Amino acid sequence: MNATRKYLFVVLLIALFALVVAACAQPAAAPAGGEKVVEVTKVVEVTKIVEVKKEVEASSEEVIPEGSVVIDFWHAFGGGRKLLIERMVADYNYTHPGTYVRVENKGSYRDTLNAAILAAQQGNPPHIVQIFEIGSQLALDSGIFAPFEDSAGDFQPDDLIEGVANYYKFDGKFYSMPWNSSNPILYYNKDIFKAAGLDPEKPPETFEEMLDVCETITSSGAAKNCISWPLHGWFFEQWMANMGAELANNENGRAARATEVYLTGDAAKEIVTWWKEMYDKGYYAYSGKLEDWDGADAIFVSGQAAMEITSTSDVVNRQNDAAANGFELGTGYLPYPASSERMGVIVGGASMWLADGNPPEEMQAAADFITWFTNTENAIRWHKATGYFPIRKSSVAVLEGENWFEQNPAYRAAFDQLLNTKPVRATQGAVIGAFPEVRTIIEQAVEKVLAGQASVDDALAEAKAQADKAIEEYNKSVE
Amino acid sequence: MSLSISRNTRKQLLTHIALIFVVLVVLAPVLFALAKSTQTRAEVYHFPPMLGPGSAGLLNYKIVWHQFDLGLYMKNTLIVAGIVMFFKTIFSMTAGLGLVYFDFPFKEFIFYFILFTLMMPTEIMIVALFNLVSDLGWGDSYAALSVPFLASATGVFLFRQHFSSIPADLADAARVDGAGPMRFLWSILVPMSWNTIAALALIQFIYMWNQYIWPLVIIRENDRQLIQVGLRALTNQQDTTNWGYVMAAAILAMIPPMLIFILLHEQFTKGFALGKEK
Amino acid sequence: MSTAKFKGKWIPWLFLLPTLVILLVFLYYPVIQTFRLSFYRVAFLGLRTKFAGLDNYINLAQDSGYHHTVWVTIVIAAAVVVVGLAASLAIAMLANQKIRGASVYRILLIWPFALSPPVAGIVFLFMFSPGFGVVNYLTELVIGTELNWLGNPRLAITLIIMASVWKNLGYNIVFYLAALQNVNTEVLEAASIDGANNWQRFRKVTFALLSPMTFFLLITNITYSFFDIFGMVDILTKGGPLDATNVMIYNLYRDAFEYYKTGLASAQSVILFLLVVILTMIQFRTSGRQVHYGG
Repeated sequence: MNATRKYLFVVLLIALFALVVAACAQPAAAPAGGEKVVEVTKVVEVTKIVEVKKEVEASSEEVIPEGSVVIDFWHAFGGGRKLLIERMVADYNYTHPGTYVRVENKGSYRDTLNAAILAAQQGNPPHIVQIFEIGSQLALDSGIFAPFEDSAGDFQPDDLIEGVANYYKFDGKFYSMPWNSSNPILYYNKDIFKAAGLDPEKPPETFEEMLDVCETITSSGAAKNCISWPLHGWFFEQWMANMGAELANNENGRAARATEVYLTGDAAKEIVTWWKEMYDKGYYAYSGKLEDWDGADAIFVSGQAAMEITSTSDVVNRQNDAAANGFELGTGYLPYPASSERMGVIVGGASMWLADGNPPEEMQAAADFITWFTNTENAIRWHKATGYFPIRKSSVAVLEGENWFEQNPAYRAAFDQLLNTKPVRATQGAVIGAFPEVRTIIEQAVEKVLAGQASVDDALAEAKAQADKAIEEYNKSVE
Repeated sequence: MSLSISRNTRKQLLTHIALIFVVLVVLAPVLFALAKSTQTRAEVYHFPPMLGPGSAGLLNYKIVWHQFDLGLYMKNTLIVAGIVMFFKTIFSMTAGLGLVYFDFPFKEFIFYFILFTLMMPTEIMIVALFNLVSDLGWGDSYAALSVPFLASATGVFLFRQHFSSIPADLADAARVDGAGPMRFLWSILVPMSWNTIAALALIQFIYMWNQYIWPLVIIRENDRQLIQVGLRALTNQQDTTNWGYVMAAAILAMIPPMLIFILLHEQFTKGFALGKEK
Repeated sequence: MSTAKFKGKWIPWLFLLPTLVILLVFLYYPVIQTFRLSFYRVAFLGLRTKFAGLDNYINLAQDSGYHHTVWVTIVIAAAVVVVGLAASLAIAMLANQKIRGASVYRILLIWPFALSPPVAGIVFLFMFSPGFGVVNYLTELVIGTELNWLGNPRLAITLIIMASVWKNLGYNIVFYLAALQNVNTEVLEAASIDGANNWQRFRKVTFALLSPMTFFLLITNITYSFFDIFGMVDILTKGGPLDATNVMIYNLYRDAFEYYKTGLASAQSVILFLLVVILTMIQFRTSGRQVHYGG
């Protein structure tokens, strides 16, 4: 090694260690909180403001005030929603001295649930975990969590809108606090509709209309594909509900533990057959990956598809995208097969669970935070900034008083769809312990059908066998 | 004569063209990422794709650094890589010293004991290691991320091989001078081992910087998370991904190992005894 | 070894102690535990365990899904090795020419050494995604059709292989370049005087002289395809579509940390371990010179 090299190497090593030391010793700046967020009614700007503004606050270290009760809160959100949550939590910490909520995002819903279970195995679960709706039974069975209702003070369960309360009430009890709630709607690009010679105010409503509209769009060359949505079990579940078909036995698992899924019923077959036809004709496009929301967004936003079916929680994102990419956005209901009555949709999303086994004062503080986080005001704030439903009747009343829905028709469609849902077992949503696994099994069946590796009947029969086995194993393990 | 020169020049030119082509192909993905990292969300979603620099400038970089904790992840990774580089170099060096300059019972057994660990990558025992480190109560600590990596057969054998190639009379001379093994190590072996140290430092740094599956399973709190898992988190969440951010993060995550590699790659070649000597 | 020794009964142990303790606690002990765990069935979120004898192994032996996983692993490893080494050797020979700016070219070719699998995965995911990726745009322009890179099983495997080869280029080229510089030019000249053409010269002389290095790279590349590929699969395909890219290490991770089948995952660990042992044995048998790389 010659002298220069050696010198360089030493300098490098020193620099590296200096960096490490500097990084460790870096004085921690004040937490992000404090200042009030301006509630903006001009929809398009809400998330943008959240995202850009924080750029100046150069802090990843947080200072926990001495003597405060520290509450860990894990959620699954990224992007603008993560920043919004951090801001709301900062507000809480600022206005509630004595409690410090430490908020972290853990990746996808599945990642978050796994992280919580692994943490519980290590004996150190976070106080509050956001768990997706289909993980509810699993969370209940795990014994990791305490029933929210028992620790909560006055969280006004009667104020929750019906669809939401119906989903999360098990045996008449709230084991967790409903939080982000959404369902799927249709988004469409009015410019492409016009270019294809279609009425831009009339999105297709049924499976059959969808095929016709798609034929017009693709043959006119107005867009390469007609529609996109993620290859995600959620949509299958929603279509089942919309047709009034239950997914699992024992009244969708609500009367007793579900032991089988109805994947070989007519409703299931009709959905997958239509899906396959849409795909084979080149109308439907997806990214090729399972549960890839981004992929579907990209296809729609870049103008390669005229429509997208995705969550109502993307209203704000899609409006921003439409504004930035210069097209006019429309929204409509989730399409359904004309042969069946439209029953409505299931409340998707997630709820907040309270971990058991922490000292009483921490559990109390955590429950108080959850109650605050989902109160009337915050439900409005959350709704406006994302598109998730305002889950409280009182929030809806305030929004209606502001003429919010008139000014923002996209939110209206999303919300109406929920209000028009008929409260039957099918739309209440299935409760299955092994639901996360069952969802994957359904996705793989659809994947197989689209790839032409199995017929609709065969794929669904195989999926049913697998799902029933997974359910049986699960049920055995918790008995 | 002139004919052969021009043929030679042509051959050179062709080689240049071929090399430039290969260089561009190898660089293309990074150039693409670089362009996208400066684009706004709308520019990223633009169709047909825009391949030039966008209008976001360095904004994406600032946002991922501050708001998506990339700075924190990089700091954590630097700390962990620093700890491992420092201690592993020392432990490997002393172990090499013990194996080369001492005779002791069971030496052969010890040699094989160390050698066999070459067959034990972290991945194959990830479940048991997870249980062990959790039982130790090390969850969410730098210890969980660094201590299991503080020793390796690679390091020990690198020094063993290097020390064995150092002329024997040096140790003799040291002994005659009355120097103990520590003095010998410090004043004779270390100055002669810079290439080996650099080679080990380089592979350790890159190895630690690229840690993925282990921090993914053992770390729960973001405070202690490492950079590669942080990158994963950017694409894997319940919200639309801004690919401008993701590409900016990917570029940032490439920089430190790239710098170290470019500075040390020659030492690496020499330290691995890949040079002329047999 | 003829090197002079220092005296001391305890001192050598003291020098070796840190290394031995860490290897014992964090490598040997977990490996033994892995063997033990593989005989247990772990139920419901890993909260309950029960002795199960060889059940886990029997399940794996009978599970066609796992057979597929092993097969995919082998196919990917073979492709990564063959394509990767051929490309690296060709590039290394090109960069080994005596030509102006050779050192600059070399740097520009070996930098992927410092890439991590997740970074490579993320960049490839972005390039090949259907919505905004550039590759599909280009294929549309050139061959008039879009390819479903992430949805078609064969293409998804191809994508993983391409990303892995790209990521490994730097590493392979560094080692090949070093080996090429050791190839004695006199031998080559002698060969050309004997009338050997370029191809014969390459095959009979250069390639033969490089074979120890090729063998070393073969082993490290296989190890890479077994383990490090995890980051790439996790980010690019999540094992899909239809488990087409569900390699052994990814399957193991999912069974262990997503489905909490810890015993089953441990049995898979043992199988992987045995594979590594076999590979390493072959390596030691056949290559006189030991070159090590890794943890």
